Amino acid sequence: MTEVDKEPVKLVLYVAGETPKSLAAIRNLEKICSEHLAGKYKVEVVDLKKQPQLAREHGIVAIPTLVKELPVPIRKIIGDLSDTQKVLVHLSVEE
Amino acid sequence: MAVVSLASALTREELEARLYEAEETLRAIREGEIDAVVISGGTTEQVFTLGDDGQSYRTFMEAMDIGAAAFDADGQLLYANQALCKLLGRPASELSGQALLGILDAVNQTTFRRLLTQALRERLSSEIHVRVEDSERSFLLTGAPIDFGIVSGVAITFTDISEREQTAAAKESERLARSVLASANEAVIVCDRSGIVTHINAAAERICAEAPIGKRFEEAIALTFADAAELMSGGDIVAMAVGGTPVQGLEAAVKTSAVDVTDVMISAAPLVVSGERTQGCVVTLINLSQRKAAERRQTLLMGELDHRVKNTLAMVLAISARTASHERTIEDFQKSFSGRIQALAATHTLLSNASWENLQIKDVLSVELAPYATLSSGRISMEGLDISVDSKTAVSLGLVFHELTTNAVKYGALSTRAGKLSVRRIGLLDDGALQIEWEERDGPMVTPPTTSGFGQTLISRSLGSGANGGTKLEFRPTGVVCQILIPKYGHFHS
Repeated sequence: MTEVDKEPVKLVLYVAGETPKSLAAIRNLEKICSEHLAGKYKVEVVDLKKQPQLAREHGIVAIPTLVKELPVPIRKIIGDLSDTQKVLVHLSVEE
Repeated sequence: MAVVSLASALTREELEARLYEAEETLRAIREGEIDAVVISGGTTEQVFTLGDDGQSYRTFMEAMDIGAAAFDADGQLLYANQALCKLLGRPASELSGQALLGILDAVNQTTFRRLLTQALRERLSSEIHVRVEDSERSFLLTGAPIDFGIVSGVAITFTDISEREQTAAAKESERLARSVLASANEAVIVCDRSGIVTHINAAAERICAEAPIGKRFEEAIALTFADAAELMSGGDIVAMAVGGTPVQGLEAAVKTSAVDVTDVMISAAPLVVSGERTQGCVVTLINLSQRKAAERRQTLLMGELDHRVKNTLAMVLAISARTASHERTIEDFQKSFSGRIQALAATHTLLSNASWENLQIKDVLSVELAPYATLSSGRISMEGLDISVDSKTAVSLGLVFHELTTNAVKYGALSTRAGKLSVRRIGLLDDGALQIEWEERDGPMVTPPTTSGFGQTLISRSLGSGANGGTKLEFRPTGVVCQILIPKYGHFHS
């Protein structure tokens, strides 16, 4: 947790247009960020319907998927992010 | 072998991470948390949605001309069509997530949430009310379960039923307005913008001209404004109210066939049915006739009282001066003076009991004769004296009867047991004067007095001031006879 405090969390959310799960993931992520990471994050939403080639960078298979780019190590959270506790655990830097 | 070589190229941590990712992907697919996958085909990637990507239901919803929206099982908005955005007066971006709930008040939120939950299982309808751009709108919502590929949710249609409700409310309101108008005690007249009578209630019908609807206000009801008869007409009042200036509490006389309505208090207010435009005016007329009659009577009585007090004081002074000049001792003066003042007081009592009106000759006479009537029962007769007189005549008659009675008790018919007194109506003379005769008989022999006392002066002068009135006193040997003429204006003999 201490390292989270030092540098901003950089997140990339991969979605597929406006599928119900993509919309749910965007909504859930907005909620988590505003409630738990206020001011300490950067989010990029990538629509793979429009730019499917961007899936390659992080080896995305299932959509929606959230990638924590920074701080390292990179972590992937697959699904609609409805389990807030699980998301928070993954966003924390584990030694 | 490929697996072994891959494994050898990666660190243990990397391998564990990949394993975890593979397990997580499977879990997410199993639990329905994902609805699209990326398939890598050599150099290109393709995205495939699982089941339906939602495009087909969106296309369908967009084609509908009623408002429609799709929600997931958590009640989150997935899609709202253009028709709904238009109905709610908001862009789709302002309805996303649960923002749509935010535009509802607490009661309607509860209704909406219940519909979202129950429509996951079965089709049902509810009604909600929303404020859209300053107007209250009513929507009939129908919700039904819908599957979007691998997830299920609710599709809801919004039908605007505001106009239907408004029409029903307007009808009810009109019915209410009509019954209010009909039940009002006050006369109510409604005019349109050009001052033509359009509605009228039963109370107003009584004081209006025949068939007033369609006539101009001033033709429908004949009003005269006491304070400004030439300056103002009923039409002016209607014009003021139609122009937006309310008129309150003007008093007017009304010419009508209803006998119990002579004066009204008129008020007029602009009639605003909807928006800010005046549609006409509402005129109310309160019947003031009884109050005005009471006011007029009161004013009359006040003036009369003032006049009478002055007259009475002048009369008391005159009686005092004249009595003093005719009586020799203080005791005689006191006796005569008191008697005369008491006679005045008695008549005044009668007058005030009768509100200074409609006093009859027999009442005035009875008061004077009252002290002697029991002693002289059968000896005093009155005939045809139930004739009303005005108050001035009553006072004069009171004094005349007092002097005649005093004289009769001291020297005349009432001074002996055998004497008789008759007071009767003789009749109307040609000039309208009423003749009454006071006749004493069977008393002591009468000789005319050598000097004329004030009593005699009072008798001969009392009714003589006006035209055709007067008294004529005769000292016949058989008894005193007095002819009393009440001028035409002083009595109400028909």
